[in-house]
Amino acid sequence: MLLTKKKLFFIIKETKESAKCWLLFSDLGGMSMAEFDLYDRADDVNELLARYGVKLGIYRDNTFKEQLFPFDAIPRIIDSKTFDYLERGLKQRVRALNIFLKDIYNDKKILLDKVIPEEFIYASSGYAVQCEGVCPPKDVFSHISGIDLVEGKDGEWYILEDNLRVPSGASYPMIARELCRRSSPRTFRENHIEDNRNYSDLLAHALDYVNTGGISVVLTPGRYNAAYFEHSYLAERIHVSLVEYDDLIVENSHLYFIDYSGKKIQVGAVYRRISDEYLDCMNFNPESVIGIPHIFDVYRKGNVALLNAPGNGIADDKGIYYFVPRMIKYYLDEEPILSNAPTYLPFYEEDMKYTMEHFDDLVWKDVAEAGGYGVQFGNSMTKQQKQDFIALLKKEPRRFIAQEVIDFKDIDIMEKGKSVPRKADLRAFVVSSEEPVVWKSGLTRFSRNPDSFIVNSSQGGGFKDTWVLSQS
Amino acid sequence: MGIKSIVKTDRLYWLGRYLERVYTTVLNFKTSYDIMIEEGAEYEKYCKHFDIPNIYTDTEDFLTKYPFGEENPDSIINNLKRAYDNGIELREEIGSESLAYIQLAIYAMNRAAQSEAPMMEFQKLSDDILAFWGCIDDMIEDENTRNLLKVGKRVERIDLYGRLHKQKVDVVREIHRLSGRINRCSLHYNERVIENLLRLAEQPELDYPQIVFEVDRILEL
Repeated sequence: MLLTKKKLFFIIKETKESAKCWLLFSDLGGMSMAEFDLYDRADDVNELLARYGVKLGIYRDNTFKEQLFPFDAIPRIIDSKTFDYLERGLKQRVRALNIFLKDIYNDKKILLDKVIPEEFIYASSGYAVQCEGVCPPKDVFSHISGIDLVEGKDGEWYILEDNLRVPSGASYPMIARELCRRSSPRTFRENHIEDNRNYSDLLAHALDYVNTGGISVVLTPGRYNAAYFEHSYLAERIHVSLVEYDDLIVENSHLYFIDYSGKKIQVGAVYRRISDEYLDCMNFNPESVIGIPHIFDVYRKGNVALLNAPGNGIADDKGIYYFVPRMIKYYLDEEPILSNAPTYLPFYEEDMKYTMEHFDDLVWKDVAEAGGYGVQFGNSMTKQQKQDFIALLKKEPRRFIAQEVIDFKDIDIMEKGKSVPRKADLRAFVVSSEEPVVWKSGLTRFSRNPDSFIVNSSQGGGFKDTWVLSQS
Repeated sequence: MGIKSIVKTDRLYWLGRYLERVYTTVLNFKTSYDIMIEEGAEYEKYCKHFDIPNIYTDTEDFLTKYPFGEENPDSIINNLKRAYDNGIELREEIGSESLAYIQLAIYAMNRAAQSEAPMMEFQKLSDDILAFWGCIDDMIEDENTRNLLKVGKRVERIDLYGRLHKQKVDVVREIHRLSGRINRCSLHYNERVIENLLRLAEQPELDYPQIVFEVDRILEL
């Protein structure tokens, strides 16, 4: 039974056995009643997610705890036309960011042409002087890009953040889709949903494409990393070894994996899930004990590919975000397809003036923070907090950006058998080899707190699958 | 996977050992638990049998702390956690399907700890461990990976059977199973131990303490 009604509405029907949610869908490509079958089976899906240990590591009060990542069975649905639009915009953005990274560590034309002020590069914690003059294999810097977007109530999509260092999250919709298909085959038989199980192929190809000769590995900081499930799951799915620092060694300007017999096997590509800072104590943080000494030297000589490239932090700095639309115009000579959230840099006098006049209407972000931390809403600060913040802002204007609060669309989640609206964003994944490819899925994160805009998993958020409807 | 680090090799071996420790311990505990429903002092015998320190004040204390005591290094739950700690770092080696059975065993253990009738959940826990072994036979292609796990299982079983003075036929069978498999995996082991175990298996009366002594030094080179 296909539904074509324009409006989306729920009728909650209590039955003796369970609370059933009947969802009548709009014209999003003509979803069918079979979806209800999936909602009825949401508990089965969550049971399977628990069975497979789909967990997140969280540090609370200096204690590491593993907890299940709450999954909601109502998917985010993106129709094919919208996805085509997002796909074009995301490819354009990632292309520009990749050219920017090559330029900023080499010719610096964008600085010479004064498109971006130098201060925003050299004062950024994401800028790595070690990467000056270095080009990664085949000039790919951002092999896996996680771009965070939200859909405004006006239907417009806005980019919130670019994540080009070690973006995580793809594994969750991957495994959730597999388990949803298992729990409710009818849903997927009767609806035209793009298959998202090709992520491992995209990733494996990205590794092969830049591999300089030898095996590929996934490098994890270890079991007590928040995303350890993802590290091990992706290694399993792309059929490569999951390694830690003591499995690898640098010798004669090459990187080797040491097997149980002491034999050295050359490594040509490392999908590293460890930040630049800890990657190599000889080139970055000298106190790091979880990296591989001299791995960066091997990379600099072109003898191993590191995914993503070190130094990418400069491109996903919250201050640099402001300049991405300008980068697109500068490098590609194109108008940006996707918009940034309206952003102000108090570094500029006129922006400082504006932000002071509209302080309460803005959301303030510390460029050095991530994971939903360092975000403050002007209207939720006390008088004293505001005074202290403004004093700090005047002292370090480069450290903060201000953004208009986007009234983004709520998405329904199931809570105690009823649907309730919650804020949600979308992390889209772009995997780059010969060309950037936008994965036809993504991680939809939602806030479980009705009053919160913070969707980060580290702050208690949950996730949904993202369905891209196919044209057929 | 084929290529294995020394750490992964070690983890596979210890995963096999800890799972077997939990499995055999639970089987024995179930029998003893049944006796202890009426006869209180049985737990002292049990501790002696398993060669574990008797840190318990009474039967009730034993029935809580021995299976579920988080602070007790000899508790069944802690041995299962050690299995899980090794397993969780082996997902790409053993696969999510196999790993899921260890996760299910953990859930069964947690439910047992909350239950008035823990033996019902222990039955599920034993089933999960057996399913794990079936799963690795069915789903793991790499023979070395399977053998490492099974060598760990055999070593642990010989150790426990030796301590429990199991029937000769059972102990001898396990020694032969171990000797037939250990040279087909990448574990560095003491070959002399295998020779000694085979010799001990041929004796008319089994020297149980000597068997335990030998098997405990199998990785000492």
